[in-house]
Amino acid sequence: MAGQTDMELIKNGVRLDGRKPDELREVKIVAGVLDNADGSCYLEWGNNKVYAGVFGPMECHPRHKQKADRAIVQARYTMAPFSVNDRKRPGLDRRSTEISYIASQAFEKVVMVEEFPKASIRVDMQVVEAHAGTRCAAITAASVALADAGIPMRDMIPACASGKVNDVVVLDLNKEEDNYGQADLPLAIIPSTKEVVLLQLDGHLTPDEFEKAMDLATSGCMDLYEKMRNALDNRYGGSA
Amino acid sequence: MSEESSSDSVRKLVLPGDLMETKSKPGRGIFRSEGQIYASVLGHSSDKSGYINVNAISGRYNPKIGDKIIAICAETGPSIWRMDIGSSFNSTLHHSESGWKVPFGDTARFLAIGDAVWAEIFMVDAAGTHQISLKKDDCRKLYSGTIVKVDTTNVPRIIGKQGSMITTIRENTQTRIQIGQNGYIWIDGKGEDIALAQKAIEIIDQEATSKGLTNKIEKLLEK
Repeated sequence: MAGQTDMELIKNGVRLDGRKPDELREVKIVAGVLDNADGSCYLEWGNNKVYAGVFGPMECHPRHKQKADRAIVQARYTMAPFSVNDRKRPGLDRRSTEISYIASQAFEKVVMVEEFPKASIRVDMQVVEAHAGTRCAAITAASVALADAGIPMRDMIPACASGKVNDVVVLDLNKEEDNYGQADLPLAIIPSTKEVVLLQLDGHLTPDEFEKAMDLATSGCMDLYEKMRNALDNRYGGSA
Repeated sequence: MSEESSSDSVRKLVLPGDLMETKSKPGRGIFRSEGQIYASVLGHSSDKSGYINVNAISGRYNPKIGDKIIAICAETGPSIWRMDIGSSFNSTLHHSESGWKVPFGDTARFLAIGDAVWAEIFMVDAAGTHQISLKKDDCRKLYSGTIVKVDTTNVPRIIGKQGSMITTIRENTQTRIQIGQNGYIWIDGKGEDIALAQKAIEIIDQEATSKGLTNKIEKLLEK
């Protein structure tokens, strides 16, 4: 955001990677890839590559974080040191702490936490390759992993970003658009009710543009939701 | 899920949040919202005798009173053992439910960390805690042998129709096998026999949903 470039990000309505403004990057989702997790998912979204693993419900540690009447969701978002161009110092930093927190909040909205008092559901999201939009990719992957783990929830939550590039509202920003664009708006919704569980905005949008960006991101989420369903269908469907 | 019901009707895969269009009452794996009922877990739906259920495909073992299970000691206290039964929380085995006369603080002499027992769940409360007992029927400590862990939902498949699958494995490998409802399976016998039975069970666990599994297992065991 706010970086300067001579690149023409949108030319004749076509973006740098050849997409139209309302097009998603290519998404590939595979459920159940990790043996030791209760549920897991591998997701490729453009050049993003993310693993998500779900552990639990299990006894919550540290004990003071336990809730007597419900479970808590402990999400953890981390980026691998090799996931970006300049080596990233491993471990939690300010950015990943924030994303972990908002992801936990989003998942607690859909997971039926009241069914598991005093428990903790751990959601680990590991970004192995980052190319803008990793928080959305991680949350989407984690939703599939949660379903794969057999955890009761109200719905899966797809997450998708929209933004503004060269004064055009576009869906699903890539790396260049994220770095040199004008706005970035990650959104996660509950598809059945269209309830918003995560919404952030970086940059500037007019009220009209904001409405348009929300609509675009919502439709992106719905597209993604179909792909999430297909991933679980591929793993478990066709049986019986 | 018995083997019969799985082959008779075409089961439908439902995902969390799927609307269930039925007049039946909500049962397991279901939640209600604004007068409608939805699936809450990933699984297969069944609409029987006025109730709609979603049988989860994955997930941890959910203890029920009376279940026969295999438990592994995870922790010892002065008068209790904490037992791993593959559910969300460890189960408690109180010394008074062990059948042994345990002096205070001497629990590890009877059951050390890593030791396994064949036990029954005799108490589950709303807070999600549960206790197991060794004082029922054939409950006992398990010596020798090995323990294989499988998915709880595959346990009926491993037992087979009226125990057909497990009988096949037992007879062909000359092993003693006990299957806990929690998906922990105890196998005892000669080394290579155990390995063969373990392999058979692992194959069933991995390919639980595929057809012609019985033939495949029989073929494997004949070799």
